[in-house]
Amino acid sequence: MKRRNWLLLLSAMMLALLLVACSDNGDDTNTDADTDANQETTEGEEKVLRIASTSDIPTMDPIMAEDNVSFQYIDSVYEGLYRVAPEGEIVSGIAIKEETEVSEDGKTYTFHLREDATWENGEPVTAQDFVYAWQRAINPDNASYYANALMSGVVKNASEIYNGEMAVEELGVSASDDYTFVVELEVAVPYFESFAAFPTFMPLNQEFVEEQGEDFALAPENMLTNGPFKFESWQTEAGWNLAKNEDYWDAENVALDSINVKVIKEADTALSNYEVGELDRVTLSGSQVNANATHPDFKSLSETSVFWMKMNQNSPTAGEYMQNHNFRMALSKAFNKQAYIDVVYGNDSEPVNFFVPEGFVEHPETEEDFQTGSDVLAYDVETAQEYWETAKEELGFDEITLRFLSGDTDVAKQISEFMKTELEASLEGLTIEPENMPWNRQLEIMRDQEYELAVSGWGPDYKDAISFIDLWITDGENNDVGYSNEEYDNLVNAAKTELALDPVARFEAMQEAEKIALEDAAIAPIMQRKTSVLAKPYVKGMDSLNPFGNHYSFKYVDIQK
Amino acid sequence: MAKYILRRIVYMLITLIIIATATFFLMKLLPGSPFSSIGAKLTEEQEAILLEKYGLDEPLPVQYAKYMVNMAQGDLGVSFQYNNRPVTDIILDRLGPSAHLGAQALIIGTILGIILGMIAAIRHNTWVDYSSNILAVIGISIPSFVFAGLLQYYFAVKWQIFPPSFWEGPIYTVLPTIALMIFPMAVCARFMRTEMLEVLGSDYIELARAKGVKSTSIMFKHAMRNALIPVITVLGPMTVSLMTGTLVIEQIFAVPGLGEQFVRSINENDYPVIMGTTMLFSVLFISIILIVDLLYGLIDPRIRVSGGKD
Repeated sequence: MKRRNWLLLLSAMMLALLLVACSDNGDDTNTDADTDANQETTEGEEKVLRIASTSDIPTMDPIMAEDNVSFQYIDSVYEGLYRVAPEGEIVSGIAIKEETEVSEDGKTYTFHLREDATWENGEPVTAQDFVYAWQRAINPDNASYYANALMSGVVKNASEIYNGEMAVEELGVSASDDYTFVVELEVAVPYFESFAAFPTFMPLNQEFVEEQGEDFALAPENMLTNGPFKFESWQTEAGWNLAKNEDYWDAENVALDSINVKVIKEADTALSNYEVGELDRVTLSGSQVNANATHPDFKSLSETSVFWMKMNQNSPTAGEYMQNHNFRMALSKAFNKQAYIDVVYGNDSEPVNFFVPEGFVEHPETEEDFQTGSDVLAYDVETAQEYWETAKEELGFDEITLRFLSGDTDVAKQISEFMKTELEASLEGLTIEPENMPWNRQLEIMRDQEYELAVSGWGPDYKDAISFIDLWITDGENNDVGYSNEEYDNLVNAAKTELALDPVARFEAMQEAEKIALEDAAIAPIMQRKTSVLAKPYVKGMDSLNPFGNHYSFKYVDIQK
Repeated sequence: MAKYILRRIVYMLITLIIIATATFFLMKLLPGSPFSSIGAKLTEEQEAILLEKYGLDEPLPVQYAKYMVNMAQGDLGVSFQYNNRPVTDIILDRLGPSAHLGAQALIIGTILGIILGMIAAIRHNTWVDYSSNILAVIGISIPSFVFAGLLQYYFAVKWQIFPPSFWEGPIYTVLPTIALMIFPMAVCARFMRTEMLEVLGSDYIELARAKGVKSTSIMFKHAMRNALIPVITVLGPMTVSLMTGTLVIEQIFAVPGLGEQFVRSINENDYPVIMGTTMLFSVLFISIILIVDLLYGLIDPRIRVSGGKD
């Protein structure tokens, strides 16, 4: 009898454990309820946007953010000098855009800040907040990736400071009074206004940040923000709630009362939640796209990300072949881009023959799109075969094996299998050997330029074609294909220096540069990606993706039921 | 007994130190660096700055010594993928839902499994036995994410009885618990049935019957207790894996648990989180083994841990 009591005790203990776990969960639900109660109802029904995120927010510290989820929510709760509005237009934020003065040499920007913007605690947002935030960003102790990537060589003394040769106070930013923020640049940067809207450059309240120390931005209570929304709650890996910031200077133009975000990693789970009405909008992935293409709520939004196949001219093994123009032309034209999209993405991404995306930047005067299209590298098996035969003669080979580097995920394996089938079918004597590696290892190999073929893509960090054009400059930081062309380099350098103040000539130089790189088959363009979503018809203002940084500007989103 | 437990605890500590050491050096062999998730964009100088910031530029033995000292003081460091967030916070935040879900599935699954197994054994070679057997085979051979998908589709999307996902109250735990408990239930049922059949055929049960002991008493007092031994053996490790989170079930039902964290930290070379989760897993695992060993003695008097010496 006694021993059976032991078993009873054990069950009781396990039950107790269960209850403890339960009560933890109870707390979570309470905070949710509080959130709801706190929200003010303005006009009848509350406007709540319910969406999903594929991951938790990696960081809410503006200078440390380097991914889309972080960017998205930093943009929602903070406001920088400018802000990105729908269709990619850059508009006034804390600085009044119409009043911004740019010196004649394009190297000094004077931003005039509005005087009615405040932090959550009621303190005004001043020019000093920007000076502090920008200095904090470039401080090497903080090791911010984006501060260095965007500021070095652009903002005065930024690279010296990042390399520890100067003190942060030497950075070319200053506050001539509380509401005037002056930035001095190393060179004229025509796209500097993109930076003024970029999450890395959000203002920060020095006193608050220093008081928080290591805890800064880790939880809602460790943040002090100034944007259209503020954090109500944030549960690790479960989700978070943003509520409208009634003290935001432009609060009357913020339509949503709150934004409710749930972390859902499984695409099918997100879709199920959309179907039962738990979510207002969901991003589709893989086979979901085709399965829902006829759904009345289906939409496809153009991204500014372009993908291409890289043919490494510096490869220790195949470099001598890759350096041959005919060889590259043959590879570039030998695979069906539409079929690639169908097999790999199954959505309506655009097959492209260029690498500066369509619908990204416009001509400064005529407002025509940068991208006028090109068919030099269009899919064309016959021409590809002609190039291939010429290459065979010039290089003196009959058969060749090339390694195709790709990831170890299902999609990555599909990519390498697809390329193998296509290229081998089109080009006689070619064998493709897929090399599937974990992502980290793949990046190492690419960085060391030890691969032969690989697929890769690029998304811009600011609204200017140079973000793409600069990629293939000789020995450029991101040029891992070993492409080099003097004429191309000259045009790119001109666009970065002497043409900086001549927008039209600069624009045309970049168009010319792209043409040269395409004629040289520097890379083999594949597609410009699209994102497919299901969105309830009452969700307004999320019909296009921002060209850089955060995907959407929640400030302009509305629910109209 | 106390001496035995003390000795076991000392062994546990030694095992933990060995595990920590092995994990520490093995994880440094992972390809890539913790900062490669932002990819090719990072220049070498930037990477050097980051490595210095997190103390990864020091020689391995120094890093190891620092880590062990900090860990002894309960400081597991900060995560790389979640900027600056302490590893202990990440683990504690996410252990809750996993442990809750795991415990619920384990308790219900085990109890149902034991009942199912016993009924099958008692009604040996009847339709009850066969159907219970079929159930068990299905439960063991079909992976839990299939059940999860089916449950979600029918109960949440089609009939809308339960919410499809999230972790916001008891009702939200129903579907993931069912999906997760099927495996332990099937395993318990199978072991229980086999063992019960064996025990029921043994001499002491015959004796008890011959003495005229009531058959319910035989079942519960004599047969079940002995049949539980192998069940408990398999339950130990299962408890740990269920309570520290199951990647797939958590993802399908969007439960903010620990399962996925471990996998992702390895993919992203987030060293402190890899160490933290591994150590948590090891501590739980070793403790459960100890508990299981002690339980043997309680359940079956024939096994006594203290032995003759003490």
